[in-house]
Amino acid sequence: MTSASLGLSRDDRPILISALFILVILAAGTAYTVARFGSAPLLSPTYLLQQLQIGAFLGIVAAGMMIVILIGQIDLSVPWTLAAAAMMATSIGGPFAIPVGLGIGLLVGLVNGVGVAYLRVPSMIFTLGVNAVMRGLMVAHTGGYAPQTAATDLMRTLAADRTLGIPHALFVWAAVSVLVVAMLQRTALGRYIYAIGNKEAAAYLAGVDTRRVTVICFVICGGAAALAGVLLAGYSTKAYQGMGDAYLLPAIAAVVIGGTNILGGRGCYLGTLIGVVLIVLLNSVLSIMEMPEAGRQVIYGLVIILMLLVYGRGERVVS
Amino acid sequence: MPDAVPTQGAFLALSGISKRYAGVRALEGVDFACERGKIHAVLGENGAGKSTLIKIIAGVVQPDTGTMRLAGNDVSFASPSAANAAGVVCIFQELSLMPDLSVADNISIASPPRRFGLIDARAQRRRAEELLAEIGCEDVNPLMRARDLPLSRRQIVEIAKALGKKPQLLILDEATSALTSADVEKVYAMLARLKSEGVAILYISHRMHEVEALADRASVFRNGRHIETFDKGMRSTGDIVQLMIGRDIAAQYPPKPARKAAKPMLALENLSWEGRLDRISLSIGAGEIVGLGGLDGQGQKSLLLALFGVLRGVSGRITVEGREVHAGSPAAAKSVGIALVPEDRKTEGLMLPMSIADNLAIASLSAISTGPFVDRAKESAAVKRAIARLQIKIGAPNDPVSTLSGGNQQKVVLAKWLMTDPRIILLNDPTRGIDVGTKQELYRLMRELADQGAAILFYSTDYDELIGCCDRVAIMYDGRIVRELEGSELTETNIIASALNIDAAVNGGAAHA
Repeated sequence: MTSASLGLSRDDRPILISALFILVILAAGTAYTVARFGSAPLLSPTYLLQQLQIGAFLGIVAAGMMIVILIGQIDLSVPWTLAAAAMMATSIGGPFAIPVGLGIGLLVGLVNGVGVAYLRVPSMIFTLGVNAVMRGLMVAHTGGYAPQTAATDLMRTLAADRTLGIPHALFVWAAVSVLVVAMLQRTALGRYIYAIGNKEAAAYLAGVDTRRVTVICFVICGGAAALAGVLLAGYSTKAYQGMGDAYLLPAIAAVVIGGTNILGGRGCYLGTLIGVVLIVLLNSVLSIMEMPEAGRQVIYGLVIILMLLVYGRGERVVS
Repeated sequence: MPDAVPTQGAFLALSGISKRYAGVRALEGVDFACERGKIHAVLGENGAGKSTLIKIIAGVVQPDTGTMRLAGNDVSFASPSAANAAGVVCIFQELSLMPDLSVADNISIASPPRRFGLIDARAQRRRAEELLAEIGCEDVNPLMRARDLPLSRRQIVEIAKALGKKPQLLILDEATSALTSADVEKVYAMLARLKSEGVAILYISHRMHEVEALADRASVFRNGRHIETFDKGMRSTGDIVQLMIGRDIAAQYPPKPARKAAKPMLALENLSWEGRLDRISLSIGAGEIVGLGGLDGQGQKSLLLALFGVLRGVSGRITVEGREVHAGSPAAAKSVGIALVPEDRKTEGLMLPMSIADNLAIASLSAISTGPFVDRAKESAAVKRAIARLQIKIGAPNDPVSTLSGGNQQKVVLAKWLMTDPRIILLNDPTRGIDVGTKQELYRLMRELADQGAAILFYSTDYDELIGCCDRVAIMYDGRIVRELEGSELTETNIIASALNIDAAVNGGAAHA
């Protein structure tokens, strides 16, 4: 192992590379703004906090996605789970807005989990189908128009307000992160998740209830998507059609850039955090550089491929 | 002059070969040669360097130092396909078939016959039929998917695949460990024919009687060094074992205690499953080791899986200490104190990339958790105890379990289950591909566990083992238990006769079918 000489484990290398890349993005962006405008807004705390607040929504989605990816599955129903939770929360309103929104996400997660674990449908197909169903249900619910409802005050407070200059959304993201890290590293459930991702057959024959664990993982992912949806509705003061569409690929990209194996079994949460920050900053710097949308998409895709190529090096099958 | 290895005229000659993995010495200054038309056995415990030697010859890994000459020319193989091109073909211990491709696809996977640039399926099937016929296994259907074949037949396909590459030097690395006795005979005949055609054959096996029957010459390795090469008949089995382990072995099997009537720990009544298991009734007492014998694929593995809750739709009654249990999953089986060491440790027994500690703790996490949280102090203490109890040779508990030798990996699988304090231990051919020293440790451990009151059901393809270890052996044929042998009835003749379901003389005691 080449990284052994640096005192790094296999899991740490992608994290280090992503962290370096974040610095590269900031440096390149700053060089551009200094040359163009003579100022360095990228390095101001205001800008960075603003980016983290935007990152919180993606970060919460990515946390749930990571857990599903760790067991070697994927959840493609995230976009409309997120939108459905936001729409139902805003249309119910009042004190039950947030519980109903989260409940929608947990329910979708439960359906996904049962479909994958008990009905044995590959998750890529099943969750894609569930995504289409949720989309149809929401179009029926709203009649295809932008919903004429607004986020509750609590949702706005959680997503958009600040305490001591720190956005509340960041606190929510931090709380989710603490829960995920504790679950992955300290609980038996966390061990089972890694075990299933590494070799489901071996985990099953070791007496792990692999189906129950799979269901739990999908429920967590659905719940995380719903939480992000509720917050996002609070942030933009309303729910809208397609509000989750921009979160699916970036969430998967953040998880994978952070070093989680797309086939499951390996990855640590710190990597996902850094992956989220990287993606949010990359997007923001590209838009500051006034890169046209088409160019941004190309660069964005190339960066993901490049990072994965870098990780792929030096890892050979241990025999 | 056993050390005077003739390198002149040798087909393959290695000199001064060394290889280290991350600082650990695998081979050190090895000189080795083998000739055309000879079967050359390579012997040694797991970790002695045999596998590394084979991998170097087959181009899987490159040596750090030393030279290799093939038919008088210096060679160095950058990859297995380069070695194949030079006529060096290896059949590895781990099966390398694609489970969802047909037998014919698998056999021709490297260079399928083509017509107009597309794979010629008919020619490919014919080729598979011809190669299988060469081994004498015409009964394998080339259109079957590899995953539907029993392990023994998959190994035959593996051999056919190697033959298809027209080997000049054929290496068999434990390639017979999963073969049934009938298939072993066919492979022997094929090897004899290849030998007479002038092919050089390197043969690695942990089964001494196979080596005695086949090899013209043998080389013993120990701790990465070449110890000695000698011709057939120059050394006794005892000498060879001593060369391999560098110490004497007093008794191969631990003594069996006098049988006392124990109350049954596990009892089966009329267990049936989908035509593979046919009304099986069996009772195992506390402190008893019961063997499952018979030809491969007669339902022994299904029986173990049925008891462990893996199979759906099992009918009949299973009682544990008199209480009926319905084990619908391994998790349920575990909760009534049943443990299973599965057939394939690499895919069913272990999460290979995960650490030794994680693998050990996975089955007993609920016992070492407080609420949802794993108690790390308890966990590391339990892991340490397990490693000490089975004398597992490891670097650190956090190393990936894939870094261990086969024998030590199997110990991890067993230790994982012992951490759950099982009352009933099911073993599915646990000594397959394991070195002599570790085998003996496992035999001793089994007896020790039985003495502590566990009931053990032990399936093995090695009759010697069944006779040496078991208090009683149940022979299966076509999904049924056709005979139970114990005491003086427990002889190789009786086991083979019962396995073939023929009524040969059963010494001392009437046979009951």
